Amino acid sequence: MSNVAVKIINLVKKFGNVTAVNNLNLDIYEGEIFGLLGPNGSGKTTTLLIITTVYKPTSGDVEIYGYSVTRHGDIVRRLVGIAFQEPKALWVDNPYELLLWHAMVVGYSVIGARRVIRDIMEELDLWEHRGKFISELSGGTRKKVEIAKLFIQKPKIAIFDEPTAQLDVTTKHRVWDKIKALRDEGSTIIVATNDMLEAERLADRIAIIHKGTLKALGTPSELKDRIPGGDIIELRVDNRIPDGIVKSLIEAIEARKLDYSDGVIRAYVNRGEEKIAIAIDILSRNNIKVRSVSLKEPTLDDVFFYFTGARLEEGRIQ
Amino acid sequence: MIYPRIITIIAYRDLQRFWKYKWWLAGLVAMNLADLFIFALIFRGIVRRDIVPDYFYFLAPGIASISAFAAAFTIGREVMMELRRAFHHYLLSLPFSRLELVAGRVVSGIVRGFIYQIPFIILLIVIAKTPSFLDLLIVVSTTIMVTASMSSLSIAISTLVKSLEFQATIRSLVYFIIFFMSNVFYPESIVRLRFPEIIYIMVVNNPISIATTIYRDIFTPHVIHETYSIEVLIAKLAIWTAILVATGSILYMRNLQR
Ligand SMILES: Nc1ncnc2c1ncn2[C@@H]1O[C@H](COP(=O)(O)OP(=O)(O)OP(=O)(O)O)[C@@H](O)[C@H]1O
Ligand SMILES: [Mg+2]
Repeated sequence: MSNVAVKIINLVKKFGNVTAVNNLNLDIYEGEIFGLLGPNGSGKTTTLLIITTVYKPTSGDVEIYGYSVTRHGDIVRRLVGIAFQEPKALWVDNPYELLLWHAMVVGYSVIGARRVIRDIMEELDLWEHRGKFISELSGGTRKKVEIAKLFIQKPKIAIFDEPTAQLDVTTKHRVWDKIKALRDEGSTIIVATNDMLEAERLADRIAIIHKGTLKALGTPSELKDRIPGGDIIELRVDNRIPDGIVKSLIEAIEARKLDYSDGVIRAYVNRGEEKIAIAIDILSRNNIKVRSVSLKEPTLDDVFFYFTGARLEEGRIQ
Repeated sequence: MIYPRIITIIAYRDLQRFWKYKWWLAGLVAMNLADLFIFALIFRGIVRRDIVPDYFYFLAPGIASISAFAAAFTIGREVMMELRRAFHHYLLSLPFSRLELVAGRVVSGIVRGFIYQIPFIILLIVIAKTPSFLDLLIVVSTTIMVTASMSSLSIAISTLVKSLEFQATIRSLVYFIIFFMSNVFYPESIVRLRFPEIIYIMVVNNPISIATTIYRDIFTPHVIHETYSIEVLIAKLAIWTAILVATGSILYMRNLQR
């Protein structure tokens, strides 16, 4: 195994009686792109803010190359950089001044700063907006200004908190490419997201957290393999299914796990193509009308659902 | 470890934001000048000469210290705005120490104070006298101490009071106490005559009063009736500065990180 860049140890963070992070343990390796996945309020941002020394842990610690966020904050801040979920700017700021100041803080000379800012602002189509008030920019543009900070800074550990949540598809892909390029230049990347596609596209490894605790950890394909019964049968039905029938269905198709809610049955099985026929047979014999059937390989979304019992999209709406 | 470069950069940001309000500031300076001329020239004829020989020359140094105080005090409002928008999260994540951060803020408070005060110092030089080099040094140190202590005080309020609405109230309250419980508008001897002893003690020990007496001593010594020692005043102001800067810094460093 390569070097551990970020070590999260028994981390707990409470806000009053809300436990945002609940005994989290994670190792993030040097040079990887690590995806932190979880629905709203699962503690992603809180964890990242502790890593960047913005919040103090209630208990436990995080070590960045062995330096503790609680005891060696000054060193940690020189190694870590973050693009916040909510872009950090006051309304009278303008993007150019904001980035120029950021560049100078992270060590550029004035001339060097001007050069790098122009390059990155042009790449992200920000140059034309450089002199506007932040209050005049669209949400996505503000977000790009926030992300640009890390491409300027190139910190040893670069943290992106939901980097593409508000971006259009083309820009999303461009940002993903730039994040990968940043990794190739030597940064370790942490990306918090609840976008499955983003996690799948970017991350070498993924941690799924829910209510502040770790639910699953591994590469995207490892996680998919961990779902018992590789296939998922999804059936939409019209009538309500009595519990007894659900039970006999589970037995008949040898489902490892079966969820039934809102007229949708989701069964985790092996040899899905054979089981579909059995399932439909049982349901129609009990006068339950099947409106649609589908068989699919698990996606990360399914992985997520399996480990947390929650859909990411649902989380986003709440 | 403290790096002057980073403190300069932090202070630069504050000043850049200060500069965005330049017309507002120019308006305030103009208003203070109008105050001085209208007020002082009217009162000049009303106030008894045996109490204040010349109200115009009496008030001018006071306005100079009030202006430095007011400008330095704006830093607290800035800190409050940052807290409201969670902008301080960004500041806390950046590669500098908490001490450098707070030092940058206080330095910017000092510079804000100077920028605002300069027109009034020039006015004093024009209407009163050109100070010697040593006197100028005393003026500059006094301004540094007033602005450092007052920006620290306003930072302390911003980080100590949790509720943002309440914070604005407390800040105005403290501002007005310092403003009016001073010797800027009325001589200390009158305060002693008309008010309880405790008010008098507060007035003479108010950093703004101390600074005003120092400015008066240098530019318009003939307006002061009370006896005083310039060394004691400078020492008192230095003590105030040490206490307030230490308190403000500690609160800022402790309270920003939750
Ligand atoms: N400053 C705070 N004060 C009080 N509670 C907080 C604070 N920050 C976060 N919380 C609470 O901690 C929990 C975790 O929030 P957090 O922002 O870490 O979630 P998240 O996973 O980033 O969610 P999202 O996907 O919405 O960004 C939530 O219940 C939230 O309300
Ligand atoms: Mg978040």
